[in-house]
Amino acid sequence: MGLFDKLAGWLGLKKKEVNVLCLGLDNSGKTTIINQLKPSNAQTQDIVPTIGFSIEKFKTSSLCFTVFDMSGQGRYRNLWEHYFKEGQAIIFVIDSSDKLRMVVAKEELDTLLNHPDVKHRRIPILFFANKMDLKDALSSVKVSQLLCLENIKDKPWHICASDAVKGEGLQEGVDWLQEQIAQSDQNDENVRQ
Amino acid sequence: MSAGSSEMKDLMASSKWLDAHYDPVANLYTFTSCVALADLHGDGENKLVVGDLGTGLCNMKLKVYRGTGLLSENTLLDLPTGLVSFLMEQHEPRTPAVAVASGPFIYVYKNLRPYFKFTLPPLEVNPLEQDLWSQAKEDMIDPMSLKEMLESIRDKADIPLSARSLRFLMLDLQEMVTFVNLHKEQPIRRQTVITCINTLKKNMADEDAVSCLVIGTESKDVYVLDPEAFTILSKMTLPSVPTLMDVTGQFDVEFRITVACRDGNIYILRRDSPKPKYCIELSSHPVGLVRIGKNVVVGCAQETLHGYTQKGKKLWTTYLPAPVTTMGLMDLPCRGFQAVLVALSNCEVHLYRDKNLLSIIKTPDVVTSICFGRYGREDGTLIMTTKGGGLIVKILKRTAVFDERDTAPGPPLAQSIRLNVPKKTKLYVDQTMRERENAVAMHRAFQMDLSRLRLAAARAYVKALESSLTPMSASLSEPLKMNAVVQGLGPSFKLTLNIQNTAASRPVMNLAICFLYDEKLYSMRTAFFKIPLLVPGLNYPIDTFVECLSDKGISDIIKVFVLREGKSAPLLTAHINMPVSEGLALN
Repeated sequence: MGLFDKLAGWLGLKKKEVNVLCLGLDNSGKTTIINQLKPSNAQTQDIVPTIGFSIEKFKTSSLCFTVFDMSGQGRYRNLWEHYFKEGQAIIFVIDSSDKLRMVVAKEELDTLLNHPDVKHRRIPILFFANKMDLKDALSSVKVSQLLCLENIKDKPWHICASDAVKGEGLQEGVDWLQEQIAQSDQNDENVRQ
Repeated sequence: MSAGSSEMKDLMASSKWLDAHYDPVANLYTFTSCVALADLHGDGENKLVVGDLGTGLCNMKLKVYRGTGLLSENTLLDLPTGLVSFLMEQHEPRTPAVAVASGPFIYVYKNLRPYFKFTLPPLEVNPLEQDLWSQAKEDMIDPMSLKEMLESIRDKADIPLSARSLRFLMLDLQEMVTFVNLHKEQPIRRQTVITCINTLKKNMADEDAVSCLVIGTESKDVYVLDPEAFTILSKMTLPSVPTLMDVTGQFDVEFRITVACRDGNIYILRRDSPKPKYCIELSSHPVGLVRIGKNVVVGCAQETLHGYTQKGKKLWTTYLPAPVTTMGLMDLPCRGFQAVLVALSNCEVHLYRDKNLLSIIKTPDVVTSICFGRYGREDGTLIMTTKGGGLIVKILKRTAVFDERDTAPGPPLAQSIRLNVPKKTKLYVDQTMRERENAVAMHRAFQMDLSRLRLAAARAYVKALESSLTPMSASLSEPLKMNAVVQGLGPSFKLTLNIQNTAASRPVMNLAICFLYDEKLYSMRTAFFKIPLLVPGLNYPIDTFVECLSDKGISDIIKVFVLREGKSAPLLTAHINMPVSEGLALN
């Protein structure tokens, strides 16, 4: 990092770029969440199933997020692992109303956590227990139980109940993520010093 | 055994299925024919539609499940025998209808509301029976003679009696009059019932094409119904009552209906032929029928699974560890994978591709219905209901891979490799011909030579015995045994004679040993000496020394005689082949 970049960073002129992977089963609401986080003039009205993946960008107070919005359809899920290396954070979206496929979500999460590109890195994972507005939705506590999130010991994680259509609960999650990234940056600086 | 059990563990342990849902008390009693998956609301989420048989008398329901929960219930009037979902028309939205077969009716539901009721056409009534009942209507015949007449019709006529007449014949005398008075006004009808139901695409092979209903009846007929008007498009007749049915093709183009019947045969019907085209005769009754590509897989009551081509040629047979309860097709078009699921009464579900066992699923109860397909948004979902009314939902793992090879223990691969056997030569063929033609003469010549050989051997033996040329004594009074060992390289040799008295208890006395040899070649210090008393059973080694006189590398035989004092004929004789002397004499 050049001196000018550092200076710009301190002054808050230039924001730090972060690559985030957005994962989850099909129809869990990944694209809707990303769409809600974008500035209102860039949002699209109708959300269609993602094919392959799409790259979206949005900014928060201190960071500039580049989100890889991966398709959750079964046949595209094998693409996920190719992007694990680049990801500095992971957003994992769960459809809380789909009790039947909770095991599938757990299976995909376990595969993700055991992947060599993820296993030994301390990357923050943000879970969205989405579709809280539906009447048969499970609570975020129940979702974290079903996914056995308490077993994740070596990575910071956080679960938020959310309703992506209305945009509820999203900001809380993104704030947490921003904090985690800032912390890990500080740690890096300390290590370097 | 250990290899076999480890293979079995391999089949089970590396589970390819995720346990999505298990409700042991779902109160769902049904069979494979009454289970279907369909996108009933056109929202891209498949629902599970089940014709629940309840207890068999009450609680018969049409149930629809979404995810893990029950979405709706409709009461059914009669026991369902089959359930299918099908698209009736091209109109948008393209939501499929559900057809439930029970008794002589098909109840069609659209949007889970009753929509149409189809009734099978009535069967022909015996005119004599018709006559009798019209007489009864005008009170021209008394119940007793009506009964006699009906009984004679029942025993003789080609057209069987109607249900009403059969019921009448079961009644007691006093009930007859009231029964006749109650029913005589209505015309008599003869009705059959539906035994199996399936669907057949009308004129397009697409996944979402309009389908006809195909039904098999107790009257041994197969009907194809129009999807919109419910008129009979085609009628085919079978030699027996159909129980299981599989349909492929399109009605307007070409189709094939494979029907397993109650007589233990499978018949294959085709377009434009009112009679079966092919027939497969099974060794036992069919329990499950699945078509996989162009082949038919049949599970039989004798714990066997057979594969047949669509023309009825048998391809293979596999033996199962337990009786089959039901069978289903596992079709994963996105992976190009097709296999047969076979539920067994030992609480296992086996997955077979051709005759190869790919995987075993253990279930907590005996499975009575199997359905594989897209449920909710998940393509590879396996839905099973159990004997105790449980519901099991399993999802195939995205990463699950089924081995190509046969995982069941069996003969090794090498067994099927052909050996490179050389061709028969002309000599071999000629010899074989000769042997075949002169077999008797050859046998006689061989037997003659064999007899001669035996005779010559016996003569030589007798001669040897008579002249005591053997190292074994033949006489009963002096049973002796002797063997000789030569030690040394030469020119001095040590000769050891081992003599044993083989008698049970009697010692032998007054024996002498004498050597006979060529005096130009060998010299011995004592060529004749006496031996001591021989105790029975003991071995007596007797050493002497032989000096070889020649240095020309020649050897000779030394004869040993065991003699009895006062007798000239020897008791034993031994010939010792002396080795060539390899050393030089010290002069």
